[in-house]
Amino acid sequence: MTTTRVLLRMAGVARRRAGRVAVDDLNLSLARGEVLGLLGVNGAGKSTTLAMVAGALRPDAGTIELDGQDFIDRPEIGRQLVGWLPETAPLWPELTVREHLQASASLRGLRGKAPVEAVIERLALGPMARRVAGVLSQGQRQRLGLACALLHDPALLVLDEPANALDPVQTAELRSIIAERAAAGCAVILSTHVLAEVTAVCTRAAILHQGRLRHDGPLTSDADRQALDKTFFTIATSAEAA
Amino acid sequence: MSIAAVAHLELRRLRVRPLAWLLAALTLGWLAWRYLFLLDTFMKMQVKLAAMADGPGFTDLVAVPLLAELLQLSFVVVPLMTMTLIASDRRQGTLPLLLSTGQPPSHIVLGKYLAALCWLALWLLLALAMPLALAGSVHLDLDLGKLAAATLGCALMMATLAAIGIACSAFTSQAALAAVAALIIALALWTVNSGARAAGVEGGFLDWLAMSTHLQIMARGVVGTNDIAWFGIVIVVSLALASRRLADERGRR
Repeated sequence: MTTTRVLLRMAGVARRRAGRVAVDDLNLSLARGEVLGLLGVNGAGKSTTLAMVAGALRPDAGTIELDGQDFIDRPEIGRQLVGWLPETAPLWPELTVREHLQASASLRGLRGKAPVEAVIERLALGPMARRVAGVLSQGQRQRLGLACALLHDPALLVLDEPANALDPVQTAELRSIIAERAAAGCAVILSTHVLAEVTAVCTRAAILHQGRLRHDGPLTSDADRQALDKTFFTIATSAEAA
Repeated sequence: MSIAAVAHLELRRLRVRPLAWLLAALTLGWLAWRYLFLLDTFMKMQVKLAAMADGPGFTDLVAVPLLAELLQLSFVVVPLMTMTLIASDRRQGTLPLLLSTGQPPSHIVLGKYLAALCWLALWLLLALAMPLALAGSVHLDLDLGKLAAATLGCALMMATLAAIGIACSAFTSQAALAAVAALIIALALWTVNSGARAAGVEGGFLDWLAMSTHLQIMARGVVGTNDIAWFGIVIVVSLALASRRLADERGRR
Protein backbone atom coordinates (compact mmCIF):
# COMPACT_ATOMS: atom_id res chain seq x y z
CA MET A 1 0.00 0.00 0.00
CA THR A 2 1.36 3.42 -0.94
CA THR A 3 1.92 5.94 1.82
CA THR A 4 3.27 9.46 1.68
CA ARG A 5 5.77 8.99 4.51
CA VAL A 6 9.17 10.42 3.62
CA LEU A 7 11.69 7.62 3.13
CA LEU A 8 14.75 9.57 2.04
CA ARG A 9 15.80 13.01 3.18
CA MET A 10 19.02 14.69 2.04
CA ALA A 11 19.91 18.05 3.55
CA GLY A 12 22.87 20.23 2.60
CA VAL A 13 24.70 17.27 1.06
CA ALA A 14 28.03 18.08 -0.56
CA ARG A 15 30.73 15.88 -2.03
CA ARG A 16 34.00 16.53 -3.82
CA ARG A 17 35.39 14.02 -6.29
CA ALA A 18 38.58 14.07 -8.32
CA GLY A 19 39.44 17.51 -6.99
CA ARG A 20 36.20 19.23 -7.98
CA VAL A 21 32.81 19.81 -6.40
CA ALA A 22 30.59 17.00 -7.66
CA VAL A 23 27.56 17.72 -5.48
CA ASP A 24 26.92 20.94 -3.58
CA ASP A 25 24.30 21.78 -0.98
CA LEU A 26 21.81 19.21 -2.23
CA ASN A 27 18.43 19.14 -0.52
CA LEU A 28 16.10 16.41 -1.65
CA SER A 29 13.44 14.20 -0.14
CA LEU A 30 11.55 11.25 -1.47
CA ALA A 31 8.37 9.58 -0.25
CA ARG A 32 7.36 5.95 -0.56
CA GLY A 33 5.68 5.26 -3.89
CA GLU A 34 7.34 8.20 -5.62
CA VAL A 35 9.40 7.74 -8.78
CA LEU A 36 11.94 10.54 -9.09
CA GLY A 37 13.68 11.13 -12.39
CA LEU A 38 17.11 12.63 -11.85
CA LEU A 39 18.24 14.50 -14.94
CA GLY A 40 21.41 16.30 -15.81
CA VAL A 41 24.11 16.60 -18.40
CA ASN A 42 27.30 14.54 -18.15
CA GLY A 43 29.21 15.45 -14.99
CA ALA A 44 26.21 17.07 -13.35
CA GLY A 45 26.70 14.94 -10.21
CA LYS A 46 23.94 12.39 -10.73
CA SER A 47 26.05 9.26 -10.22
CA THR A 48 27.79 10.76 -7.18
CA THR A 49 24.40 11.61 -5.69
CA LEU A 50 23.12 8.10 -6.29
CA ALA A 51 26.28 6.50 -4.88
CA MET A 52 25.74 8.51 -1.69
CA VAL A 53 22.08 7.50 -1.55
CA ALA A 54 23.19 3.87 -1.98
CA GLY A 55 25.71 4.14 0.85
CA ALA A 56 28.74 3.54 -1.37
CA LEU A 57 30.07 7.07 -0.82
CA ARG A 58 30.05 9.21 2.31
CA PRO A 59 29.14 12.91 1.87
CA ASP A 60 31.69 15.54 2.88
CA ALA A 61 28.90 17.61 4.42
CA GLY A 62 25.18 17.41 5.08
CA THR A 63 22.88 14.68 6.31
CA ILE A 64 21.14 11.73 4.71
CA GLU A 65 18.24 10.16 6.55
CA LEU A 66 16.78 6.87 5.46
CA ASP A 67 13.49 5.82 6.99
CA GLY A 68 14.07 8.38 9.76
CA GLN A 69 17.55 7.05 10.62
CA ASP A 70 20.97 8.57 10.05
CA PHE A 71 22.24 6.73 6.99
CA ILE A 72 25.73 8.24 7.08
CA ASP A 73 26.60 6.92 10.52
CA ARG A 74 24.63 3.72 10.10
CA PRO A 75 25.22 2.52 6.53
CA GLU A 76 24.18 -0.99 7.57
CA ILE A 77 20.50 0.05 7.45
CA GLY A 78 20.90 0.14 3.66
CA ARG A 79 21.35 -3.64 3.60
CA GLN A 80 17.59 -4.22 3.63
CA LEU A 81 16.31 -0.80 2.60
CA VAL A 82 18.30 0.09 -0.52
CA GLY A 83 18.75 -1.64 -3.87
CA TRP A 84 21.31 -0.02 -6.18
CA LEU A 85 22.08 -0.52 -9.83
CA PRO A 86 25.22 1.51 -10.66
CA GLU A 87 25.76 2.98 -14.12
CA THR A 88 27.74 -0.01 -15.38
CA ALA A 89 26.48 -3.03 -13.48
CA PRO A 90 29.55 -4.25 -11.55
CA LEU A 91 29.69 -8.04 -11.51
CA TRP A 92 32.10 -10.78 -10.49
CA PRO A 93 33.05 -12.26 -13.87
CA GLU A 94 33.83 -15.72 -12.45
CA LEU A 95 30.36 -16.29 -11.00
CA THR A 96 27.27 -17.55 -12.80
CA VAL A 97 24.07 -15.54 -12.85
CA ARG A 98 22.53 -17.77 -10.18
CA GLU A 99 25.67 -17.60 -8.00
CA HIS A 100 25.58 -13.81 -8.27
CA LEU A 101 22.04 -13.72 -7.02
CA GLN A 102 22.78 -16.22 -4.24
CA ALA A 103 25.81 -14.17 -3.15
CA SER A 104 23.81 -10.94 -3.23
CA ALA A 105 21.06 -12.60 -1.19
CA SER A 106 23.57 -13.79 1.42
CA LEU A 107 25.19 -10.36 1.62
CA ARG A 108 21.74 -8.86 2.20
CA GLY A 109 21.04 -11.38 4.94
CA LEU A 110 18.39 -13.29 2.98
CA ARG A 111 17.99 -17.01 3.58
CA GLY A 112 16.59 -19.76 1.37
CA LYS A 113 16.21 -20.05 -2.37
CA ALA A 114 12.84 -18.33 -2.69
CA PRO A 115 14.05 -14.72 -3.24
CA VAL A 116 16.57 -15.83 -5.86
CA GLU A 117 14.05 -17.98 -7.72
CA ALA A 118 11.45 -15.21 -7.59
CA VAL A 119 13.73 -12.63 -9.16
CA ILE A 120 14.97 -15.11 -11.79
CA GLU A 121 11.34 -15.71 -12.71
CA ARG A 122 10.39 -12.00 -12.66
CA LEU A 123 13.27 -10.90 -14.87
CA ALA A 124 13.21 -14.03 -17.06
CA LEU A 125 16.83 -14.86 -16.23
CA GLY A 126 16.22 -18.63 -16.28
CA PRO A 127 17.84 -19.33 -19.68
CA MET A 128 21.07 -17.64 -18.65
CA ALA A 129 21.13 -18.69 -14.98
CA ARG A 130 24.11 -21.02 -15.49
CA ARG A 131 26.17 -18.64 -17.60
CA VAL A 132 29.11 -16.84 -16.03
CA ALA A 133 28.79 -13.07 -15.81
CA GLY A 134 32.04 -12.55 -17.72
CA VAL A 135 30.47 -13.70 -20.99
CA LEU A 136 27.15 -11.83 -20.69
CA SER A 137 26.25 -9.08 -23.15
CA GLN A 138 25.94 -5.52 -21.83
CA GLY A 139 22.14 -5.76 -21.78
CA GLN A 140 22.23 -9.08 -19.93
CA ARG A 141 24.70 -7.65 -17.41
CA GLN A 142 22.32 -4.76 -16.87
CA ARG A 143 19.41 -7.14 -16.24
CA LEU A 144 21.48 -9.16 -13.77
CA GLY A 145 22.49 -5.94 -11.99
CA LEU A 146 18.83 -4.97 -11.81
CA ALA A 147 17.95 -8.41 -10.43
CA CYS A 148 20.58 -7.99 -7.68
CA ALA A 149 19.08 -4.59 -6.83
CA LEU A 150 15.54 -5.99 -6.65
CA LEU A 151 16.38 -9.24 -4.88
CA HIS A 152 15.72 -8.13 -1.32
CA ASP A 153 12.57 -6.16 -2.15
CA PRO A 154 14.10 -2.81 -1.09
CA ALA A 155 12.09 0.19 0.07
CA LEU A 156 14.32 2.47 -2.02
CA LEU A 157 15.42 1.50 -5.52
CA VAL A 158 18.32 3.52 -6.92
CA LEU A 159 18.80 3.09 -10.66
CA ASP A 160 21.65 4.80 -12.48
CA GLU A 161 21.05 4.78 -16.24
CA PRO A 162 19.19 1.45 -16.01
CA ALA A 163 18.10 1.44 -19.64
CA ASN A 164 21.72 1.46 -20.88
CA ALA A 165 22.17 -1.28 -23.50
CA LEU A 166 18.62 -2.58 -23.09
CA ASP A 167 16.61 -3.32 -26.21
CA PRO A 168 13.11 -1.77 -26.63
CA VAL A 169 11.38 -4.87 -25.22
CA GLN A 170 13.65 -4.89 -22.17
CA THR A 171 13.18 -1.14 -21.74
CA ALA A 172 9.41 -1.61 -21.69
CA GLU A 173 9.84 -4.41 -19.16
CA LEU A 174 12.03 -2.14 -17.03
CA ARG A 175 9.32 0.53 -17.04
CA SER A 176 6.76 -2.03 -15.98
CA ILE A 177 8.99 -3.20 -13.12
CA ILE A 178 9.48 0.40 -11.92
CA ALA A 179 5.73 1.04 -12.01
CA GLU A 180 5.10 -2.24 -10.20
CA ARG A 181 7.63 -1.44 -7.47
CA ALA A 182 6.23 2.09 -7.01
CA ALA A 183 2.71 0.71 -6.74
CA ALA A 184 3.98 -1.60 -4.00
CA GLY A 185 5.18 1.45 -2.01
CA CYS A 186 8.81 1.44 -3.08
CA ALA A 187 10.50 4.79 -3.70
CA VAL A 188 12.51 4.87 -6.91
CA ILE A 189 15.26 7.23 -8.08
CA LEU A 190 16.01 6.93 -11.75
CA SER A 191 18.95 8.74 -13.23
CA THR A 192 19.05 9.11 -16.99
CA HIS A 193 20.03 11.33 -19.90
CA VAL A 194 16.86 10.42 -21.73
CA LEU A 195 14.00 12.82 -21.08
CA ALA A 196 11.47 10.42 -22.59
CA GLU A 197 12.46 7.84 -19.99
CA VAL A 198 11.62 10.26 -17.19
CA THR A 199 8.34 11.47 -18.66
CA ALA A 200 7.26 7.85 -19.26
CA VAL A 201 7.72 6.47 -15.73
CA CYS A 202 8.44 9.22 -13.21
CA THR A 203 6.01 11.07 -10.97
CA ARG A 204 8.56 13.76 -10.23
CA ALA A 205 11.63 15.18 -11.91
CA ALA A 206 14.74 16.86 -10.55
CA ILE A 207 17.48 18.48 -12.58
CA LEU A 208 21.04 18.57 -11.29
CA HIS A 209 23.46 20.96 -12.82
CA GLN A 210 27.10 21.44 -11.81
CA GLY A 211 26.33 19.58 -8.62
CA ARG A 212 23.42 21.78 -7.59
CA LEU A 213 19.71 21.07 -7.72
CA ARG A 214 18.22 23.47 -10.27
CA HIS A 215 14.72 22.09 -10.60
CA ASP A 216 12.44 19.80 -8.61
CA GLY A 217 8.82 19.46 -9.62
CA PRO A 218 5.96 17.01 -10.18
CA LEU A 219 5.25 15.23 -13.44
CA THR A 220 1.57 14.62 -13.15
CA SER A 221 0.19 16.29 -16.26
CA ASP A 222 1.11 16.70 -19.93
CA ALA A 223 1.84 20.36 -19.19
CA ASP A 224 4.42 19.31 -16.56
CA ARG A 225 6.08 16.99 -19.05
CA GLN A 226 6.27 19.64 -21.75
CA ALA A 227 7.57 22.19 -19.24
CA LEU A 228 10.28 19.74 -18.14
CA ASP A 229 11.58 19.54 -21.67
CA LYS A 230 11.91 23.30 -21.85
CA THR A 231 13.37 23.63 -18.35
CA PHE A 232 15.99 20.99 -19.01
CA PHE A 233 17.22 22.59 -22.20
CA THR A 234 17.23 26.05 -20.62
CA ILE A 235 19.45 24.78 -17.80
CA ALA A 236 21.63 22.67 -20.10
CA THR A 237 22.28 25.50 -22.54
CA SER A 238 22.97 27.96 -19.73
CA ALA A 239 25.52 25.42 -18.57
CA GLU A 240 27.24 25.38 -21.91
CA ALA A 241 27.31 29.16 -21.94
CA ALA A 242 28.80 29.17 -18.44
CA MET B 1 26.82 -13.83 9.42
CA SER B 2 28.10 -11.18 7.01
CA ILE B 3 31.67 -12.46 7.43
CA ALA B 4 30.46 -15.90 6.39
CA ALA B 5 28.59 -14.42 3.40
CA VAL B 6 31.72 -12.62 2.20
CA ALA B 7 33.88 -15.71 2.81
CA HIS B 8 31.41 -17.87 0.89
CA LEU B 9 31.39 -15.42 -2.02
CA GLU B 10 35.18 -15.36 -2.09
CA LEU B 11 35.45 -19.16 -1.94
CA ARG B 12 33.08 -19.41 -4.89
CA ARG B 13 35.35 -17.06 -6.82
CA LEU B 14 38.50 -18.95 -5.79
CA ARG B 15 36.92 -22.24 -6.84
CA VAL B 16 36.67 -21.16 -10.46
CA ARG B 17 39.82 -19.04 -10.64
CA PRO B 18 42.41 -20.81 -12.83
CA LEU B 19 45.32 -19.20 -10.95
CA ALA B 20 44.35 -20.94 -7.70
CA TRP B 21 44.27 -24.38 -9.36
CA LEU B 22 47.43 -23.75 -11.35
CA LEU B 23 49.34 -22.65 -8.26
CA ALA B 24 48.08 -25.65 -6.28
CA ALA B 25 48.99 -28.10 -9.04
CA LEU B 26 52.45 -26.67 -9.71
CA THR B 27 53.46 -26.29 -6.08
CA LEU B 28 52.15 -29.68 -4.99
CA GLY B 29 53.94 -31.27 -7.96
CA TRP B 30 57.16 -29.55 -6.91
CA LEU B 31 56.67 -30.59 -3.28
CA ALA B 32 56.02 -34.20 -4.31
CA TRP B 33 59.29 -34.22 -6.26
CA ARG B 34 61.17 -32.67 -3.31
CA TYR B 35 59.53 -35.18 -0.98
CA LEU B 36 60.80 -38.09 -3.06
CA PHE B 37 64.28 -36.53 -3.07
CA LEU B 38 64.24 -36.09 0.73
CA LEU B 39 62.95 -39.62 1.18
CA ASP B 40 65.66 -41.04 -1.07
CA THR B 41 68.33 -39.21 0.94
CA PHE B 42 66.79 -40.48 4.17
CA MET B 43 66.81 -44.08 2.90
CA LYS B 44 70.45 -43.83 1.85
CA MET B 45 71.38 -42.59 5.32
CA GLN B 46 69.75 -45.50 7.12
CA VAL B 47 73.02 -47.34 7.90
CA LYS B 48 74.63 -44.19 9.34
CA LEU B 49 71.52 -43.29 11.29
CA ALA B 50 71.26 -46.77 12.79
CA ALA B 51 74.75 -46.33 14.23
CA MET B 52 73.78 -43.06 15.96
CA ALA B 53 72.32 -43.30 19.46
CA ASP B 54 70.06 -40.27 19.24
CA GLY B 55 70.26 -39.41 15.55
CA PRO B 56 67.70 -37.50 13.49
CA GLY B 57 64.68 -39.44 12.27
CA PHE B 58 62.03 -39.24 9.57
CA THR B 59 60.55 -36.09 11.12
CA ASP B 60 63.85 -34.19 11.12
CA LEU B 61 65.06 -35.34 7.74
CA VAL B 62 61.87 -35.56 5.68
CA ALA B 63 58.72 -34.07 7.25
CA VAL B 64 60.11 -30.81 8.65
CA PRO B 65 62.33 -30.09 5.61
CA LEU B 66 59.25 -30.63 3.41
CA LEU B 67 57.41 -28.00 5.44
CA ALA B 68 60.43 -25.72 5.02
CA GLU B 69 60.08 -26.17 1.24
CA LEU B 70 56.40 -25.28 1.55
CA LEU B 71 57.31 -22.13 3.46
CA GLN B 72 59.75 -21.05 0.78
CA LEU B 73 56.99 -21.48 -1.81
CA SER B 74 54.59 -19.51 0.42
CA PHE B 75 56.60 -16.34 -0.10
CA VAL B 76 55.55 -16.39 -3.74
CA VAL B 77 52.28 -18.33 -3.66
CA VAL B 78 50.50 -16.48 -0.85
CA PRO B 79 50.98 -12.98 -2.36
CA LEU B 80 49.77 -14.37 -5.70
CA MET B 81 46.71 -15.89 -4.02
CA THR B 82 45.83 -12.78 -2.06
CA MET B 83 46.73 -10.06 -4.56
CA THR B 84 43.29 -9.99 -6.18
CA LEU B 85 41.18 -10.33 -3.03
CA ILE B 86 40.39 -6.63 -2.71
CA ALA B 87 42.29 -5.07 -5.63
CA SER B 88 40.13 -6.89 -8.19
CA ASP B 89 36.94 -5.73 -6.45
CA ARG B 90 38.16 -2.17 -6.68
CA ARG B 91 39.13 -2.62 -10.34
CA GLN B 92 35.83 -4.27 -11.32
CA GLY B 93 33.74 -1.75 -9.42
CA THR B 94 32.33 -4.44 -7.12
CA LEU B 95 33.91 -2.88 -4.02
CA PRO B 96 31.37 0.01 -3.89
CA LEU B 97 28.68 -2.62 -4.41
CA LEU B 98 29.96 -4.62 -1.41
CA LEU B 99 30.15 -1.46 0.69
CA SER B 100 26.62 -0.49 -0.36
CA THR B 101 25.31 -3.75 1.13
CA GLY B 102 26.04 -2.22 4.53
CA GLN B 103 28.79 -4.71 5.42
CA PRO B 104 31.26 -3.22 7.90
CA PRO B 105 34.69 -2.98 6.22
CA SER B 106 36.18 -5.26 8.89
CA HIS B 107 33.66 -7.97 7.96
CA ILE B 108 34.58 -7.69 4.28
CA VAL B 109 38.27 -8.00 5.13
CA LEU B 110 37.74 -10.88 7.57
CA GLY B 111 35.49 -12.74 5.11
CA LYS B 112 38.09 -12.51 2.38
CA TYR B 113 40.84 -13.46 4.84
CA LEU B 114 38.90 -16.54 5.96
CA ALA B 115 38.46 -17.64 2.35
CA ALA B 116 42.20 -17.30 1.73
CA LEU B 117 42.92 -19.26 4.93
CA CYS B 118 40.62 -22.09 3.78
CA TRP B 119 42.60 -22.41 0.55
CA LEU B 120 45.93 -22.24 2.37
CA ALA B 121 44.80 -24.81 4.95
CA LEU B 122 43.92 -27.21 2.14
CA TRP B 123 47.29 -26.59 0.54
CA LEU B 124 49.11 -27.25 3.82
CA LEU B 125 47.09 -30.40 4.52
CA LEU B 126 47.80 -31.83 1.07
CA ALA B 127 51.52 -31.19 1.52
CA LEU B 128 51.44 -32.68 5.00
CA ALA B 129 49.55 -35.73 3.74
CA MET B 130 52.68 -36.97 1.92
CA PRO B 131 54.88 -37.72 4.98
CA LEU B 132 51.88 -38.63 7.16
CA ALA B 133 50.57 -41.19 4.68
CA LEU B 134 53.95 -42.90 4.44
CA ALA B 135 54.55 -42.80 8.18
CA GLY B 136 51.13 -44.30 8.76
CA SER B 137 51.49 -47.10 6.21
CA VAL B 138 54.99 -48.35 7.12
CA HIS B 139 54.85 -47.42 10.80
CA LEU B 140 57.73 -44.96 10.79
CA ASP B 141 58.60 -43.27 14.06
CA LEU B 142 57.21 -39.75 13.87
CA ASP B 143 58.06 -37.11 16.43
CA LEU B 144 54.50 -35.82 16.58
CA GLY B 145 55.32 -32.96 18.96
CA LYS B 146 58.02 -31.59 16.72
CA LEU B 147 55.89 -32.05 13.60
CA ALA B 148 52.91 -30.33 15.26
CA ALA B 149 55.10 -27.38 16.30
CA ALA B 150 56.56 -27.10 12.80
CA THR B 151 53.08 -27.36 11.25
CA LEU B 152 51.75 -24.69 13.61
CA GLY B 153 54.67 -22.41 12.68
CA CYS B 154 54.03 -23.07 9.02
CA ALA B 155 50.30 -22.35 9.39
CA LEU B 156 50.97 -19.17 11.35
CA MET B 157 53.46 -17.94 8.80
CA MET B 158 51.06 -18.57 5.92
CA ALA B 159 48.29 -16.82 7.85
CA THR B 160 50.65 -13.88 8.42
CA LEU B 161 51.63 -13.71 4.75
CA ALA B 162 47.94 -13.84 3.79
CA ALA B 163 47.14 -10.94 6.14
CA ILE B 164 50.01 -8.91 4.67
CA GLY B 165 48.79 -9.80 1.17
CA ILE B 166 45.26 -8.62 1.94
CA ALA B 167 46.55 -5.37 3.41
CA CYS B 168 48.56 -4.72 0.24
CA SER B 169 45.55 -5.65 -1.91
CA ALA B 170 43.42 -3.13 0.00
CA PHE B 171 45.70 -0.26 -0.94
CA THR B 172 45.70 -0.64 -4.72
CA SER B 173 43.59 -1.61 -7.70
CA GLN B 174 46.62 -3.21 -9.38
CA ALA B 175 46.81 -6.84 -8.29
CA ALA B 176 50.40 -7.25 -9.50
CA LEU B 177 51.46 -4.26 -7.45
CA ALA B 178 49.80 -5.78 -4.38
CA ALA B 179 51.66 -9.07 -4.93
CA VAL B 180 55.04 -7.36 -5.31
CA ALA B 181 54.44 -5.16 -2.24
CA ALA B 182 53.43 -8.19 -0.16
CA LEU B 183 56.50 -10.12 -1.30
CA ILE B 184 58.82 -7.22 -0.45
CA ILE B 185 57.26 -6.72 3.00
CA ALA B 186 57.44 -10.45 3.74
CA LEU B 187 61.08 -10.67 2.68
CA ALA B 188 61.88 -7.55 4.70
CA LEU B 189 60.27 -9.12 7.77
CA TRP B 190 62.23 -12.31 7.18
CA THR B 191 65.62 -10.66 6.76
CA VAL B 192 65.28 -7.60 8.98
CA ASN B 193 67.85 -9.00 11.46
CA SER B 194 70.37 -10.32 8.94
CA GLY B 195 72.52 -7.19 9.06
CA ALA B 196 72.64 -7.28 12.86
CA ARG B 197 73.47 -10.99 12.84
CA ALA B 198 76.25 -10.46 10.32
CA ALA B 199 77.68 -7.90 12.73
CA GLY B 200 77.49 -10.46 15.53
CA VAL B 201 74.59 -8.82 17.39
CA GLU B 202 71.95 -11.32 18.50
CA GLY B 203 68.89 -11.28 20.73
CA GLY B 204 67.98 -7.62 20.21
CA PHE B 205 64.79 -5.97 18.99
CA LEU B 206 65.64 -6.70 15.35
CA ASP B 207 65.89 -10.39 16.18
CA TRP B 208 62.45 -10.24 17.77
CA LEU B 209 61.09 -8.35 14.78
CA ALA B 210 62.33 -10.93 12.28
CA MET B 211 59.86 -13.59 11.17
CA SER B 212 62.69 -16.11 10.78
CA THR B 213 63.53 -15.98 14.50
CA HIS B 214 60.05 -17.11 15.54
CA LEU B 215 59.75 -19.74 12.85
CA GLN B 216 63.14 -21.32 13.52
CA ILE B 217 62.18 -21.77 17.17
CA MET B 218 58.98 -23.56 16.17
CA ALA B 219 60.83 -25.73 13.63
CA ARG B 220 62.86 -27.06 16.59
CA GLY B 221 59.61 -28.20 18.17
CA VAL B 222 59.30 -25.37 20.69
CA VAL B 223 56.09 -23.35 20.79
CA GLY B 224 56.33 -20.17 22.84
CA THR B 225 53.70 -17.53 23.55
CA ASN B 226 56.21 -14.88 22.47
CA ASP B 227 56.35 -16.41 18.98
CA ILE B 228 52.59 -16.89 18.70
CA ALA B 229 52.11 -13.28 19.87
CA TRP B 230 54.46 -12.05 17.12
CA PHE B 231 52.39 -13.73 14.42
CA GLY B 232 49.17 -12.54 16.07
CA ILE B 233 50.35 -8.93 16.17
CA VAL B 234 51.37 -8.88 12.51
CA ILE B 235 48.06 -10.48 11.47
CA VAL B 236 45.95 -8.08 13.54
CA VAL B 237 47.87 -4.99 12.38
CA SER B 238 47.67 -6.05 8.72
CA LEU B 239 43.93 -6.78 8.86
CA ALA B 240 43.27 -3.56 10.79
CA LEU B 241 45.12 -1.57 8.12
CA ALA B 242 43.10 -3.26 5.36
CA SER B 243 39.83 -2.55 7.22
CA ARG B 244 40.85 1.06 7.78
CA ARG B 245 41.62 1.46 4.09
CA LEU B 246 38.20 0.07 3.13
CA ALA B 247 36.48 2.32 5.65
CA ASP B 248 38.20 5.28 4.00
CA GLU B 249 36.99 4.09 0.60
CA ARG B 250 33.51 5.57 1.16
CA GLY B 251 35.03 8.95 1.91
CA ARG B 252 37.70 8.80 -0.79
CA ARG B 253 37.82 11.71 -3.27
